[in-house]
Amino acid sequence: MKRLLLTGASAAAVIFGGAAFVSAQDLAFPIGEGAFSWESLEAFTAAHTDLAGQTLTIWSPWNNEGDAAQWESVWRYFEQATGIDVQSGSSPNYEEQARIDIAAGSPPNILILPQPGLLADFAAQGALTPLGPETAQWIEDNYAAGASWAALGQFAGPDGTVQQYGLPYKQEVKSLVWYSPDNFAEMGYEVPTTMEELYALQDQIVADGGTPWCIGIESGGATGWPATDWIEDLMLRNYPPEVYDQWVTNEIPFNDPRVVDVIDQFGAIVKNDQMVAGGTAAVAGTAFGDSPLGLFTVPPQCYLHRQASFIASFFPEGTVAGEDYDFFYLPPFESKDLGNPVLGSGNIVTIARDSPAARAFVEFLETPIAHEIWMAAPNSAFLSAHMGANPEVYSSQALRDQGQILLNATTFRFDGSDLMPGPIGAGAFWTGMVDFVNGASAQQVADQIQAAWDALR
Amino acid sequence: MLQQGLYAALTIVLGVGVFLAYFWGANWILDRALASNARMPHALAQRRDNLRSRIRPWLFLAPALIFLLVYLVYPVFETFRLSLYDRLGQDFVGPDNYTWAIHDATFWQAALNNLGWLVIVPALSTIFGLLIAVLADRVWWGGLGKTLVFTPMAISFVGAAVIWRFVYAYRGPDMPQIGILNAFVTWLGYPPQPWMQLTYVNSLLLMVILIWIQTGFAMVILSAALRGIPGETIEAARIDGASEVQIFFTIMIPQIAGTILVVWTTITIIVLKVFDIVYAMTNGENDTQVLANLMYRWTFISGDTGRGSAIAIVLMLAVLPVMIWNIRRFRAAEGTH
Amino acid sequence: MATIAPELPLERARSAPRRLARIRPGRIVVHLALLFFVVLWTLPTAGLLISSFREPDQLAVSGWWTALAPATIREAARLPVAEAQVEENGVYVIRGSVLEPGSNRTIETFGTTNATLGDTPAGGTATVRVGGEITLESDGAFVWTSPTPFTHTTGPRVYYAAELQPRATFENYATVLTANGVGRSFINSMTVALPATIISVMVAAFAAYALAWMRFRGRTFFVVSVVALMVVPLQLALIPVLRLYNEVGSVLGIPGKGYFGVWLAHIAFGLPLAVYLLRNYIVGLPREIMESARMDGASHFQIFTSLVLPLSIPALASIAIFQFLWIWNDLLVALVFLGAQDDHVVLTGRLIDLLGTMGEDWNLLTAGAFISIVVPLLVFFGLQRYFVRGLLAGSVK
Repeated sequence: MKRLLLTGASAAAVIFGGAAFVSAQDLAFPIGEGAFSWESLEAFTAAHTDLAGQTLTIWSPWNNEGDAAQWESVWRYFEQATGIDVQSGSSPNYEEQARIDIAAGSPPNILILPQPGLLADFAAQGALTPLGPETAQWIEDNYAAGASWAALGQFAGPDGTVQQYGLPYKQEVKSLVWYSPDNFAEMGYEVPTTMEELYALQDQIVADGGTPWCIGIESGGATGWPATDWIEDLMLRNYPPEVYDQWVTNEIPFNDPRVVDVIDQFGAIVKNDQMVAGGTAAVAGTAFGDSPLGLFTVPPQCYLHRQASFIASFFPEGTVAGEDYDFFYLPPFESKDLGNPVLGSGNIVTIARDSPAARAFVEFLETPIAHEIWMAAPNSAFLSAHMGANPEVYSSQALRDQGQILLNATTFRFDGSDLMPGPIGAGAFWTGMVDFVNGASAQQVADQIQAAWDALR
Repeated sequence: MLQQGLYAALTIVLGVGVFLAYFWGANWILDRALASNARMPHALAQRRDNLRSRIRPWLFLAPALIFLLVYLVYPVFETFRLSLYDRLGQDFVGPDNYTWAIHDATFWQAALNNLGWLVIVPALSTIFGLLIAVLADRVWWGGLGKTLVFTPMAISFVGAAVIWRFVYAYRGPDMPQIGILNAFVTWLGYPPQPWMQLTYVNSLLLMVILIWIQTGFAMVILSAALRGIPGETIEAARIDGASEVQIFFTIMIPQIAGTILVVWTTITIIVLKVFDIVYAMTNGENDTQVLANLMYRWTFISGDTGRGSAIAIVLMLAVLPVMIWNIRRFRAAEGTH
Repeated sequence: MATIAPELPLERARSAPRRLARIRPGRIVVHLALLFFVVLWTLPTAGLLISSFREPDQLAVSGWWTALAPATIREAARLPVAEAQVEENGVYVIRGSVLEPGSNRTIETFGTTNATLGDTPAGGTATVRVGGEITLESDGAFVWTSPTPFTHTTGPRVYYAAELQPRATFENYATVLTANGVGRSFINSMTVALPATIISVMVAAFAAYALAWMRFRGRTFFVVSVVALMVVPLQLALIPVLRLYNEVGSVLGIPGKGYFGVWLAHIAFGLPLAVYLLRNYIVGLPREIMESARMDGASHFQIFTSLVLPLSIPALASIAIFQFLWIWNDLLVALVFLGAQDDHVVLTGRLIDLLGTMGEDWNLLTAGAFISIVVPLLVFFGLQRYFVRGLLAGSVK
């Protein structure tokens, strides 16, 4: 029996060996061609000539095969430039894995996470290496709205002093509404430029017999997070950014009447069976990645879908940006005169185990080329606030437009649930929104979440 | 890759060899070092025999003991220690985490849910497992039937989660249903239900998943036990005119009572730890929370090792009744040993 | 309690018509009852199997049972841009097909807007908003004519209702099997599961025997502790043990993560159940064998290796199956102790990666789940005969 199994294993090895993917050492874009900033790569290579043969471990949130391949295409250039052997890994439960590795003393060199709250925990435990004030200055000088981005990567260390621990990389714009230009043209709808127009459009769609919105908030252990994005976007459009900041840090309580009012505004949409495809009962059970499919059905199940820029990778295969789908910026209230607020988020690169290779890698990510490679990847959802990165290399006009939104916002704020501490931002806020969608009142939910804030220690 | 296959083969041989060497070697050394034979004075031989008998069990047990100590006992102590500390494991806070748990509504909700799971799942799994085992032993296609019932155990939890998502899926009343349960319900003429959001019903539906998986386990073990019942006993009963049902209750069950208890105990402990199913299907939402999932949330999502550990300790204490019962059984069995 | 059971053929005296009469309707009931259970148990899995042969875009749209019969589907296709036009006899024409060759769709009705989809039967003509008229055939071929040149830059859509013939596709399986690293992960999973299973069974067997038949102080305590340890949730052990590995590793100069660590972890985590079940089995073996062997002067070790082990092969095989199954399907322990780096990831991990960040490729997972199940099922079949012979039956000669 043992022998049989062994033979089987060896046979399988031979079979699969033949079909095995030989990892390509070829770079995604040949050096010297295209509108890339190759000189930055040259400068980087010249400055790091004594690192060959070292190893660098990276833990990233990009566990999806497509994302992982695009991420690999970026660090291949780093490998080629320095001769360092890079080992990058990820998994669906990447936050849990990061916690385990740091707690157990086997952290990766580079840790990239989209949750500042979690990184703040690690920084307070002393698990991260500060990047230094030069990095902070660099971000302020080289990113659009640099001071805000630098602040995102600043946390309090074990002794309480706030330092620059993270470099933002791969940003996302969240205040987008996706729609089908064909369906709009057929029904005679116009893209709204104010929130009032959007509400009117909603009502028009219902009057015409259709359903305006597709909303799905299911996401396994993170169910509820798309709804938190709605609340954050609405907060920015109802009140000045200072109120938003106070709300995120709990300077004003979560059950402040202003916040409850905003939750009710969301309720006016999501709790109305006529407003949401499938009715309210389907919202909490529909996966966030499945919900936009309603834009593409014949006849369409919905006409509008509010979601961040990454959602395009969930659209059906073969659909083309600009033709089959497009987006417009979620507009502000004309009557409130609060400018053009944009909600966004980003990933943060930190050093969890210091080494010369890790430092070099952070410097690599500061070069324009490290951004441009991913910007230019086919089907890319990569956006960058790096002012030195050439926007021409974006692989699609849609991406370029989103990038433009990123660079032009009058008010830029980060995803609140990412900024709030873990038990709230990745816990009570999510579950509170699920309860809200399932029938609880806005006041109940707000009280619940405030209670969670109070229970924090 | 062939290289990896050979490497694996080599390691198997090496690993197995190491352990074989230990077991054979240790016993051999014992026998040689404390050899006793007819030429020795009787008292010395006796002493050596005794010494050998006293040492040998420990040789047998040693590897298992070391594994269990390092991988299970040590973490339990570590967990207990952490449960007395604060969120990041830095400051001692004594019983604070436990008092928090006692006052936390979600904790009680989870505990009550676990109780529901404990009452329903082991019983039903064992009953179905027994029924299917009995039925399968009487038909010519029983082997195939048993294999099919066993298959859910072979599917990974990820696969099971996908399967049951598609069973319980809900779409709006005007859309075609993709979940088989709702398709059945709408075929009967009723509106489709968002199953995972209906309190009480959702917990029961989640239990169905674990019963679906564990019945195969119960069936396998009970089926074997049934084969162990002497044929003559059953024949004699038949000749005496007993019906099949009577035979089942008065002969079969008492004969395999011990195994039924073993199966029930094992499934009970598995149910206590149920995590994957709840995590993948509802993540504890809509009152489906269970203690293991709550522990996971507090430890890994909220990063609060103090509270997470406290919940874990409570979870493990829940096994005490089972332990006590088993002790009684062993003591009773000891009498005849 | 189990007893010795030489397998007696259970022959029924055919001369008892009363017994026959009682058996026949009973038999049917037995068959039906078992059938009921088996169907109930297999239905969900069957659903997944059928889904794995469906086209990717169908999975989130319709239930798997609809895949077995022709269905009506509504779709839209985009017509070519103006550059595709040719002039024929003063009329501007664009030709093409909205369906791929070999498509399993047959167009029944169509229209140029969502609302008019059912208005024109296949073969008929409809007016296009950006100009001209289009004739669409049931096989997807269309002719789009206009008296004036086409000027549109984005092709308009044409909507149709088509009958979809059920068609199985191996596309999902092909994608999974040829995906990057699947072969490697397969070997990884084998490398993790095989040694751990074998050593697991060995260690558990010795311990179970000691706890069953050897006398020593504290035996009951240990037996009960083993039961208690079954309840320890896996997650508790992850961080303390990994920390231990890292510390030991840093002292010895080797990485804390690796195959060796995974094996030891899997062996340890599976021990309580294995020891519990095996001990229970060994206790049920007839005492007389052991007693007579002891009389003959055999040591426990000899009894164990030459008597108990051979008698316990059914139990050992059963434990081996459960252990192998559990390790093969495990992801968490492998991720923590082996890592998710590309060359270390096990099969379950690889399959989850194909699934996408939160499941946009359900169809791949359905195929992946079945690919992953092949090995455990093979192991199960291979050791089947030990299984059904039994955990508690034994024959004594």
